Amino acid sequence: MLLSSVIIILREVLEAALLLSILTALARQLQLNRHWIGWSLLFGLIGSIVYGVNTDIVSEWFEGVGQEVVNAIMQLTIYFMLLMYIILLTRFVNHQKISNAVLAFIMIAISTLAITREGSEIILYFFSVTGNDNHLLVVLIGMIIGGSIGISIGLLFYYLLINLRNNWSIIIGMSLLILVAAGMVSQASLLLIQADWLPSQLPLWDTSGWLSERSAFGQLLYALIGYEATPTALQAGLYVTGLVLPIILILGLKAKYNRQKHNQSLNVQK
Amino acid sequence: MINKLRVYNPVGIFLVLLLFFYHTNAWSGTPVIHIEIHNHLFNPSEIIIPENTKVKLIIHNKDTTDEEFESYELNREKVILGNRKGVIFIGPLPAGEYPFFGEFFPKTAQGKVIVK
Repeated sequence: MLLSSVIIILREVLEAALLLSILTALARQLQLNRHWIGWSLLFGLIGSIVYGVNTDIVSEWFEGVGQEVVNAIMQLTIYFMLLMYIILLTRFVNHQKISNAVLAFIMIAISTLAITREGSEIILYFFSVTGNDNHLLVVLIGMIIGGSIGISIGLLFYYLLINLRNNWSIIIGMSLLILVAAGMVSQASLLLIQADWLPSQLPLWDTSGWLSERSAFGQLLYALIGYEATPTALQAGLYVTGLVLPIILILGLKAKYNRQKHNQSLNVQK
Repeated sequence: MINKLRVYNPVGIFLVLLLFFYHTNAWSGTPVIHIEIHNHLFNPSEIIIPENTKVKLIIHNKDTTDEEFESYELNREKVILGNRKGVIFIGPLPAGEYPFFGEFFPKTAQGKVIVK
């Protein structure tokens, strides 16, 4: 009981903690005040409870695949919010004006959705396991251990990121964010395949012999970059699309700002 | 008149396609397999499905407690609430054994899909 509660909470917390740590580290570079973290935690907690309590209703939607559809919508919303965040970050790096209010809103939305998705499962787990017998203390201890490990890994990432030199911190933070974002697309596509909303196919390859999704490193890579040992062609294709889209956006914006700068300097010379 | 036709054509094509997909889906008849969860055990705990075939699993949770159907090998994960049922599509898969478990009660809730 103890070990399984450690593992389940760790898995749920890890995904949200990694995303939050990257966002927090980048927010430091953007010199954003930290109020957004408090709001995210509050809204995330409310979201977790509301979604957790209503999972039975959601499950019945769309002929029994409501959970998959709602979760996929949440993942895809996180993806598009991350895209917008990446656009704002690119503007910031290129010395363009950005609105701190919009930035804070996007970060709160991303974090709230991420916490809601993972938190609701923790709530279901907790009430399920402690429902009719006296595992309460063991489960609570397990949850605290699992949660602490997850948060520690998040903090480790945070300190690694903020201790890099300024530019590297943003470049690596942004790269991690793009990988997390692509992982969201891959998870959403998997959920829609599971719901039979997207066509299912034979797996494209099988790397489970090389790196199992069960292993600790496999789990970390799953949380961080959406690692799958046996993806289908559709899933892999959507993952690559999810990865390439923000990169094109960044390069496109960068080219645009460089052109503007070039034109401005020409004007000054005239 | 011709303009009107142009407007309606894509809609018509879409409707025909939709009907076609609905039709083929209804006729292709995805095999359905029922699994029960009772006292944190899967019953049956081993199911056999054909190779390269999509299968619809309907998991009936007879316990009052929730359970999470989880399988790394099948790439599937879904909460099945107490006294409820859940639908999970799996496959098509190559031949082999694909273990699954109940993440909330993994000590007892274990099973596998055998693809032949």
